[in-house]
Amino acid sequence: MKILAIIFKKELKDMLRDRRTLFFMIVMPFLVIFLIFNLSMRLGQDMEKRAQEKELKVAVFASAPLPSFIQLLQTMERVKIDTAVPQSEITQAVNDGRVDFAIAFPGDFLESVDSEGTNDVQVYYKASTSENEQALDRVRKVLEAYKKQMLDRRLQKKNLAAAFVEPLKVVERDVSSVREKIGQRLGGMFPYFFVLFCFLGAMYPAIDLAAGEKERGTMETLLVSPATRIQIVIGKFLVVTASGIFTALASVVWLYLVFRQSKTVPPEVLSGILKVIEWKSLLLLFSMIIPLCAFFAAILLSASVFAKSFKEAQSIITPLNFIVLVPILIGIFPGIKLNAVTALIPILNISLATKEIIAGTISPWVMAEVYLVLFSLAVMGLIFCTRWFNREEIIFRGV
Amino acid sequence: MIVVENLSKSFRLSKEHKKEKATLARGNRVEAVSDVSFTCKPGRIFSLLGPNGAGKTTILRMIATMLRPSAGHISVAGYDTTKEAGQVRRHIGFLTGATGLYERLTPAEMIDYFGRLNGMEPALLEKRKGDLFHLLGIDEFAGRRIGKLSSGMKQKVSIARTMIHDPQVVVFDEPTVGLDVITAKSIHQLIRQCRTDGKTVIFSTHIMGEVSLLSDDLAILHRSRLLYNDTYENFIKGMKAKSLEDEFIRRVEEA
Repeated sequence: MKILAIIFKKELKDMLRDRRTLFFMIVMPFLVIFLIFNLSMRLGQDMEKRAQEKELKVAVFASAPLPSFIQLLQTMERVKIDTAVPQSEITQAVNDGRVDFAIAFPGDFLESVDSEGTNDVQVYYKASTSENEQALDRVRKVLEAYKKQMLDRRLQKKNLAAAFVEPLKVVERDVSSVREKIGQRLGGMFPYFFVLFCFLGAMYPAIDLAAGEKERGTMETLLVSPATRIQIVIGKFLVVTASGIFTALASVVWLYLVFRQSKTVPPEVLSGILKVIEWKSLLLLFSMIIPLCAFFAAILLSASVFAKSFKEAQSIITPLNFIVLVPILIGIFPGIKLNAVTALIPILNISLATKEIIAGTISPWVMAEVYLVLFSLAVMGLIFCTRWFNREEIIFRGV
Repeated sequence: MIVVENLSKSFRLSKEHKKEKATLARGNRVEAVSDVSFTCKPGRIFSLLGPNGAGKTTILRMIATMLRPSAGHISVAGYDTTKEAGQVRRHIGFLTGATGLYERLTPAEMIDYFGRLNGMEPALLEKRKGDLFHLLGIDEFAGRRIGKLSSGMKQKVSIARTMIHDPQVVVFDEPTVGLDVITAKSIHQLIRQCRTDGKTVIFSTHIMGEVSLLSDDLAILHRSRLLYNDTYENFIKGMKAKSLEDEFIRRVEEA
């Protein structure tokens, strides 16, 4: 126990003096979160803004003038009615961007309306331009308003109330609590960050503490010391685990701070989020991170001690990043729920459990299963790692 | 005291090694050390001479309990290397030419670490550390990060690391490889000092000059087997070639 503490302290000190490790543990989570958050917000807003602010060139084709429709169109902001395009070039004009929208009414439109018929009004646009897709909503609104005008006229003629054509009105009432809604939305994003950072935070120290030790030629001296190999592995394992946990926590803190400083998130949303995330939920999440980091640490250390050099360790471990990402991505898909089966799949289970913990809907049995799976994996990982360290052909590979 | 009896070690060959060591391989295994016996006595320097790949490092690593013998026994300071590995490690100092240091620690921290790992009492550790630092001239840079030291300074720290727990047995595996002349000389001084202090010293080398400079006893290792094992004096007496080097080559070729 004493020797284990000596090794742990030394490895921790050594690790915390490494600038690269500190960068991975503290700076990188901030950069990633800050960039992802601001870029996605900015891009989304910009696109919306552009679609709103864009002046739409709209061509209208009808055999007879439609003054009330044109009037409606003109009340819309930033719309220019184009009269230069002949009807024969309609598709081409939309295609090459001379007009953004072309609205074509059939030849006998007004007669048909009066004789209580129905008509196809065609709206030509180019959906491949994402701005147009959003602007389509604006055009739809005008057409809807026009449709309502005509409907009112018909109803007046027949002396009918508006309710006549609307025997039922759908009113949606979502009974899920704010907490559940936030759990589903934020809960999908949350694990994405901390699972990834558990891994990334443990990655660098793991490489440094095993492959790095081989490369620098200190492994032999450590092996000749009275410390047993099990003490050496566990000392290193604990430091790597701690670094994963720390990085995951740092990422959560950064996430909170970035959210708070952001001007794009309304303060009431932030306080709403903070209100629903209870301390109990955070503690539950944290308690899942510990076995997860232990599991990652065991895998990473095993890979690292197998490698002859820092570089080789990196080339073995980099692909593991993607393997870790897959279950997280699956967890983001809607429809995949935490149950007795999905609770068995590592990482995916954390990802799904996080959603439910935040939403407050997790069943204690499934939670227990998730724990059991994570703890068994951590223990098996550690057993594997210690055996791996004890194999001469592994630990002396390239030494 | 080191007693090596009928020591053998075979390794399973990886694909990459198969090509390199094809000559020694039998099937999937390669015999790195075959039936080697010798004794290193306290107060004497035992040198293990042999070309690269002869099995020197493997023998020394087995003595230091890093590798387990496939057959045979080794006892170090009276302890069996497989059954009492922990005790063996407490009584051994190990230094190689490729030995590295923790570059982000200071010499003082490095020595504290190994002293504590060796279970030294804090007071004794402080005293030994003070003496060694003074003797080796480490004091002036004891608080600087090892990564910022010159290679000569680093070597001094390595020596202090090896000797901090006052080991009875000291193992040097090609200790001067890659070192400049001045630094190599400090290692030679250390080896002699160990002899004066009555320690058991074994060192491996492929440099003849070192053998003539330091050896009391000599073993020549070639292709995993011992070709010669006696005192250095007797080796000189029995020489048929003119120089040490020629004699070594003659014996290797004869074998």
